[in-house]
Amino acid sequence: MHSKPKVLWIDAVSCYGCSHSFYNYPQIKEILNKIDLIYHPLLPTKEFEIKSSDILIIEGAIKSNFLRLGFDLIDLIAKLIKLSRKVILIGTCSVYGGMFGEGILFNKEDKGKFYKCKDKIISIPGCPPHPEWIAYAIEMVLNDKKILLDSENRPKEIYSYTSHMGCVRNEYFEWKVDAKNFGEKEGCLFYEQGCQGPYTHSSCNKILWNEVNSKPRAGTPCFGCTEKTFPRKDLFKTETFMGIPANIPLGVSKRAYLTLAGVAKSLTNERLNKRLIDEDN
Amino acid sequence: MKITKKIISKIEGEATLKLHKKDKIIEFAEIEFWQYRGMEEFLKNRHYLDACVINPRVCGICGHSHLIATAKAIENALDVKITKKAEILREITLGLEIIQNHIKWFYLTLYPSVKQKDFFKALEFAKDIAKIIALIAGQFPHNSYAIPGGVTCDLTNLEIIKIKNFLYEMFERYQKIMSVDGKSEDLEELFEDIPKDIGRGLNRFLVLGDNLYFSSNGDFKFIREEKSTSLNKNVLYKDKFYEVGPLARNLNNPLVSSIYKKHKDSVYTRIFARLYEVNLIFEYLLKRIDEIEINEKNYIKPTQKNAKGYGVIEAPRGSLIHEIEIEDEKIKRYNIIVPTQFNLSNGNKLNPSPAQAALMNEDEKYADFIFKCFDICAICVSH
Ligand code: SF4
Ligand code: SF4
Repeated sequence: MHSKPKVLWIDAVSCYGCSHSFYNYPQIKEILNKIDLIYHPLLPTKEFEIKSSDILIIEGAIKSNFLRLGFDLIDLIAKLIKLSRKVILIGTCSVYGGMFGEGILFNKEDKGKFYKCKDKIISIPGCPPHPEWIAYAIEMVLNDKKILLDSENRPKEIYSYTSHMGCVRNEYFEWKVDAKNFGEKEGCLFYEQGCQGPYTHSSCNKILWNEVNSKPRAGTPCFGCTEKTFPRKDLFKTETFMGIPANIPLGVSKRAYLTLAGVAKSLTNERLNKRLIDEDN
Repeated sequence: MKITKKIISKIEGEATLKLHKKDKIIEFAEIEFWQYRGMEEFLKNRHYLDACVINPRVCGICGHSHLIATAKAIENALDVKITKKAEILREITLGLEIIQNHIKWFYLTLYPSVKQKDFFKALEFAKDIAKIIALIAGQFPHNSYAIPGGVTCDLTNLEIIKIKNFLYEMFERYQKIMSVDGKSEDLEELFEDIPKDIGRGLNRFLVLGDNLYFSSNGDFKFIREEKSTSLNKNVLYKDKFYEVGPLARNLNNPLVSSIYKKHKDSVYTRIFARLYEVNLIFEYLLKRIDEIEINEKNYIKPTQKNAKGYGVIEAPRGSLIHEIEIEDEKIKRYNIIVPTQFNLSNGNKLNPSPAQAALMNEDEKYADFIFKCFDICAICVSH
């Protein structure tokens, strides 16, 4: 029998949210049974050693003068990357830096400290990344399957979607009916509440969180947690430029967007302009 | 005397323990934390609502508590009242976060420090608890559905029915871990080779939050933070160290208090209180969910722009404090005090913190276990 592939899971500057997100993967047992987990910050494993691995999973950002397991964090990461066959960066911190420091592959918009290792890296951004995305990356590598990656090394099967796709408020978006307030079923959160769904690369609203829900479905705007800009400022407000949303849906020109919005606004969908569940007949 | 230094990992984050020993007996223990993330600085000059996105990221296992404390601090500052419905929903999601925390802690942190045990049933349980949170809050971990003024969701009775039935199911499933009369095979198995009476702390308890069924026995105004030898800050109440957490806040329960009478504030009582608390939370949530008036408002928009405020809640590991100063809707100052800072302050031999006191005079072979009984969150400490 072949020995199981060695997986080393290391945490850099993080909140452990990526690990806790992965714990929610319904078939986590099946995945863990396929691998030899040589280290994980929380799950029971042997003591940490700097060792070679088939898959190195990195959770968290990097930062100088930060100690991890008695080592300087950046030195430690450099050694572990060198000793690994494939690297899966999980979480926005680890890919872009997020709120805790620099990413491994990128430092926000710029190239990151380990950009030169790009060839063996797979990016799974998200704050946290969806458990299915983490499982996907591990399984694809374990099975030696080709992953189609975009220019930031994100798997296209996940990040070609936007988090807007699958939102139950889509009809309101189409008809330009904005939510008047938080805590209401009605309305789209794009115009007032800061929703970044239409330009955030993520399949979360398609596959759903915890198999049941998503932020926009629960009335919370999408914060663009998978993007290099996360967490941008004024997360609950839509930035506008002369009354027009400063960021418009991916793939549309400003002119096309404005034309469409203008037409939608000039026509009225009566059903969407009143309470969804009406108390009178 | 010999001093050994040990990095404690496999907790949320990592801590350094320096044990002063004489013939394997711990005479004193120094507790150090060497990580810092600068979250309070990161919040400065941002709109106060941004704190509802940043603060859950203090911690992956108890981030929801940080969200609720944030919302409460801002509401306190801006003098906002929320509806009963919003309050009950927050109780449910926070209560459930405490439950998933305790389950993970018991099977993933504590058990492995003693013996091997199947932890998949714990993950399975925690995953289903997270699903109930997500039904209300959108997702777990890291949602931001509680905002100053209420909640962002607008549930229908369909979700309420689902949540209620799910709560019943989970409550019943929990009986196999610990029953409502306090029986737990897994707890007894854990103690097969460990004395129950070790690890006694200071026998001084503090409860500052009054969420869920907890009642506070102190006032946050008497809290003082002081510099420690590492990157942690010590936390004192009326100039003394106090133990916070499930044992502190459940001592008025007859069953917990009977265990306490027998075993004092030992490791066993501490663990028992934590596991038993889960039953009490389920009971409380099942009562509260029936009080939801579906037509009540979910959110009331705050109107003020400047003020100072604080939010105090009972989080999984004990009292959690958030303080905020808002100027023209922007955050001027933010301060977070987490439960682990209370329990794991680094005092001295004459005036030790609860965890230091618990380690003193015990055999070094139990150090890891005694330490982990406090359910340390070094990640929260390194905020
Ligand atoms: S709320 Fe956000 S995700 Fe939903 S339809 Fe509107 S823009 Fe899209
Ligand atoms: S809705 Fe947006 S912020 Fe929320 S998980 Fe999806 S991509 Fe991230």
